[in-house]
Amino acid sequence: QRFRFCGDLDCPDWVLAEISTLAKISSVKLKLICAQVLRDLLGEAIEYDKILKLTSDAKLESGDVKATIAVLGFILSSAAKHNVDSESLSSELQQLGLPKAEHASGLCRSYEEKQSPLQDRLRACSLRLSQLGSVRWRVDYTLSSSELQEVNEPVVHLTFNVRDRECDKMTAVPVTLSANKFWVLLA
Amino acid sequence: MLLVLSAEHRAHLGCLPRAGGAAFGELGRLALEQLRRGAAPRACESAARQLNIGIDIIQHGVEGLVYLLTESSKLMISEVDFQDSINVLGFSDELNKSLLQLYLDNRKEIRSILGELAPRLPSYHSLEWRLDVQLASRSLRQQIKPAVTMKLHLNQNEDQTAQVLQTDPATLLHLIQQLEQALGEMKMNHCRRIVRNMK
Repeated sequence: QRFRFCGDLDCPDWVLAEISTLAKISSVKLKLICAQVLRDLLGEAIEYDKILKLTSDAKLESGDVKATIAVLGFILSSAAKHNVDSESLSSELQQLGLPKAEHASGLCRSYEEKQSPLQDRLRACSLRLSQLGSVRWRVDYTLSSSELQEVNEPVVHLTFNVRDRECDKMTAVPVTLSANKFWVLLA
Repeated sequence: MLLVLSAEHRAHLGCLPRAGGAAFGELGRLALEQLRRGAAPRACESAARQLNIGIDIIQHGVEGLVYLLTESSKLMISEVDFQDSINVLGFSDELNKSLLQLYLDNRKEIRSILGELAPRLPSYHSLEWRLDVQLASRSLRQQIKPAVTMKLHLNQNEDQTAQVLQTDPATLLHLIQQLEQALGEMKMNHCRRIVRNMK
């Protein structure tokens, strides 16, 4: 069976298995855990102790807690990735066996609030090889040189600051152009 | 298969009967810790002080034990062979039994540690991809040129490297087809026969 939030593919087996674990947690606590998982997906620090406290009632083992975080992370990020609206997400989660009344609707409400910021964050994390940080320039006027006594030519110095996505370092690439070459670049 | 112990090795292990029964337990523990974490001279020093034996003797004994255990585990020698090999050393029966017990108890763990020492090729960590369409360039306007850019993250002995690859969709489909053919080989009779025999 195809699900939109899985990108029109079958739902992974491990997600199906963990839906029953989600149903064990009360819906109020599930919404709070969702909020924590959303914080993690948006790049803020996740507060694992709070999640442990919230799941202690449902008597989940540590493996189950991690599985809960993983399955919530998958559902929320996958739904944002495929631009699924919260109604469709709710109906698909119910098809998978998540009880409607509170669990599915609570989850989808949290998702709906944070859908745009989540998609913005995913867009920012997309593969990008390098990024132009800034450009600095300077125009000099050469009066004379060792080769020719009267040169009288303008010269353009450019420095491109390139940020490497991987190591987050800025590299400076200096370029020097004569006036004619600079016109060619601009043309 | 019998283990052949060199004269130097025998001399190192010769200190074991001098150390005595209680010390043997301590030396065995130090040997295993050395296998798990590497040499710990400070632990040897404190053991030497506790048991009132020279630090050299302790270190030789520990190294001798480590070598004996790794060689025996590496070759996976049976109990009988292990007993015959250490009979050469002329230890007491009790010491021989303790050595055998130490070997049998820790054989599996030592083998798993030795297994991790083999050299490794870079292995897959993750793959990021991106689908772009080139609409225009400086030389030609109004184009449609799709391209898939991928960043393959590899792991090699805790080193992370990344390789950037770019291809057009047709080549990517061809690549996928070749990889699926490779996976399909596993289902052929030849592979199935070998896998069955290995199990």
